[in-house]
Amino acid sequence: MRSRRLTPVAALAVAALTLAGCGLGSADTSSGSQPTVDANAQVTGEVSLQTWALKPKFTSYVEGVIKAFEAKYPGTKVNWLDQPGDGYDKKVLSQASAGQLPDVVNLPPDFALPLAKQQMLLDVGAADPKISEEYVEGGVQAYQYQGLTGTFGYPWYLNTDIDYWNSTKFAAAGLDVKSPPKTFDELLAAAKVMHDKTGGREYLMSRLPGIGDFTNAGVKILSDDGKKFEFNTPEAAALLDKYRDAYKAGYLPRDILTQEYLGNSKLFTQSKVAWTTGGGNAIQDFVKDNPSLKGKVVPSPALDTPPLYVQGLSVSAKTKNQAAAIALARFVTNAENQAAFAKIVNIFPSTKASAQDPYFSKSDGTPESDAKVLAFESLAKAKVLTPPIISGATNDFIGQQISLAIAGKISSQQALDAAVAKANQLLTQ
Amino acid sequence: MRYQRWFTPWVLVVPALAWLLVFNLWPSINTVILSFTNAKPLGGGTFVGLRNFETLLHDEQLRWALLNSVIYMVVCLPFLTVLPLLLAVLVEKKLPGITFFRTAFYTPVVASAVVVALIWQWILDDRGLVNGLAEKLGVISGPLPFLSDQWLLLLSAISLTIWKGLGYYMIIYLAALGNVGRELHEAAAVDGAGPFRRFVHITIPGVRGTMILISILISVSALRVFSELFILSGGKGGPGGRDNSVVMLIQQYSQGFEGNLGYASALSIVLFFVTVVPMLVLARLNRRGAEA
Repeated sequence: MRSRRLTPVAALAVAALTLAGCGLGSADTSSGSQPTVDANAQVTGEVSLQTWALKPKFTSYVEGVIKAFEAKYPGTKVNWLDQPGDGYDKKVLSQASAGQLPDVVNLPPDFALPLAKQQMLLDVGAADPKISEEYVEGGVQAYQYQGLTGTFGYPWYLNTDIDYWNSTKFAAAGLDVKSPPKTFDELLAAAKVMHDKTGGREYLMSRLPGIGDFTNAGVKILSDDGKKFEFNTPEAAALLDKYRDAYKAGYLPRDILTQEYLGNSKLFTQSKVAWTTGGGNAIQDFVKDNPSLKGKVVPSPALDTPPLYVQGLSVSAKTKNQAAAIALARFVTNAENQAAFAKIVNIFPSTKASAQDPYFSKSDGTPESDAKVLAFESLAKAKVLTPPIISGATNDFIGQQISLAIAGKISSQQALDAAVAKANQLLTQ
Repeated sequence: MRYQRWFTPWVLVVPALAWLLVFNLWPSINTVILSFTNAKPLGGGTFVGLRNFETLLHDEQLRWALLNSVIYMVVCLPFLTVLPLLLAVLVEKKLPGITFFRTAFYTPVVASAVVVALIWQWILDDRGLVNGLAEKLGVISGPLPFLSDQWLLLLSAISLTIWKGLGYYMIIYLAALGNVGRELHEAAAVDGAGPFRRFVHITIPGVRGTMILISILISVSALRVFSELFILSGGKGGPGGRDNSVVMLIQQYSQGFEGNLGYASALSIVLFFVTVVPMLVLARLNRRGAEA
């Protein structure tokens, strides 16, 4: 009787062990897929291009670029796919899992990294050595990863953050908006003044620190081989301590630690805080969403090192037309096409040749134009502050530990140790 | 003349069987397999033995999530077992306009859990209806942190689940009450039993089986809670992630390019066993009660 009962269980176990190999592939590798052609190979045939949420706003721009590419390389045909903004990561993931990545695909660095690890992306640097000469250093570096050899995308367009200050709130607290804080410590000091002078009614700061702030404080996030997190240092703990003390003293709004927190930028737009960070054209959005802010928003360079946001075009390792795919990625991201794109949307070109373009480097004196020029100038020293390997559950957990430390429920060092332990566990799993 | 061959029943069963194998059995087996690996969405993974389960033992997030799930079940179970029965007894009466009340109690069930949770979020936030009213009435001096305090957030989510579940279980009880013989009530009334005694000695034993079924349904859904906590906590699991449920953890670990499918599968296995335990206990209670 007992053996009869055990038979199906044993059969199931055998089946499970037999199937254990299903869906499981090889482990990570450390070098990217190498191209089999160089940049001078003949360009012809069909090639697919996938962009992210450019339709319908930029349809005519992209179609113009495609037409120009097909004219430059007779015999080529570009099939353009544009994916909706929401759920793009899931779309790319399903394409990659099915081995159906388009030949040229728009991927930010954190999307490109897992694909590069699985040798799904071509090392475009090997096919096109001029990439590091023609594109800005930060842009190219964003597609070079610790522990992997190669460059896995052409930087397409860049952005960064600058600081915005509310001059009315500064004046109310007796602060001079013409010389705003330049470092985090100055920011804290100004937050205290604003709190004390307004009886706690006005706030300057309303954001939680993150990995980018640790990088800015000189904390090393990842080991050199990219295999271990190590940001649980006394410097990082000291930074969290400063935030915790500021929170406790009431310099930050209470709901910053909860889901009710709308974000620095929204609170600034609603005139609830006096400082936010934002891109070069964020000032236009503030004034559009809250016209009473007109003439009251003063831009200045970001505190410490500005963050660098990069978008790029990667080439699928499985493309059947490497020559055309590389040529297309290079063509779409060349100085001329990027400059044209940057004039219809608020982005900055990633090509070195665009640095001299007066459109980006000369202000007409309006705050909007000042902000754009400031952002453009900031790009020169901007860096990717958060390693692309930090995403999903790792990011959530780090955020949760930081919240606990700032709320004073655990010490800063405990929070960092727990965050590093979990991040390492997730990294090695 | 025979039209029926030996395989005819099998042909009829095949579609359902195929569906069951592909969408139920295979995913379950695959979850067990994945729980012993370090699988990721891209590139698969390798066999890691019991490592995921070892990690689970030291996972503080899981401890909080399990505690939340157990509290959720312990609070929801009595409320959702008893209150809908009382409601059903009330609306069972044939009074003018009673259909309105039946419909009103059932309305939250029809509404999507996400929409309901969003409405509750607006009601409960610092500037929401509850805090606004309480402040105007002078009951409180500052807003109560319904959505920013670990325990108040959990309590808010539990209240939402109870409010939303009342109508659903009320309908099940209504059907069960129809089977309780009217003559029993009449006989008891003749013997001098009041409404309360009739409720305790006739109604409750009459719907006992349904009560056990409802208890099992409530336990399972309380342990697998997701939408209410997810929406009320803004998807982040509350302050410090201490308002996560096990299902929320599974979602967090499995999402994205770097999702840890192996670990998420191990969490699913834990959830499975945690869910099965109260089911078995309640089923045993039912059997004992039936035998007694």
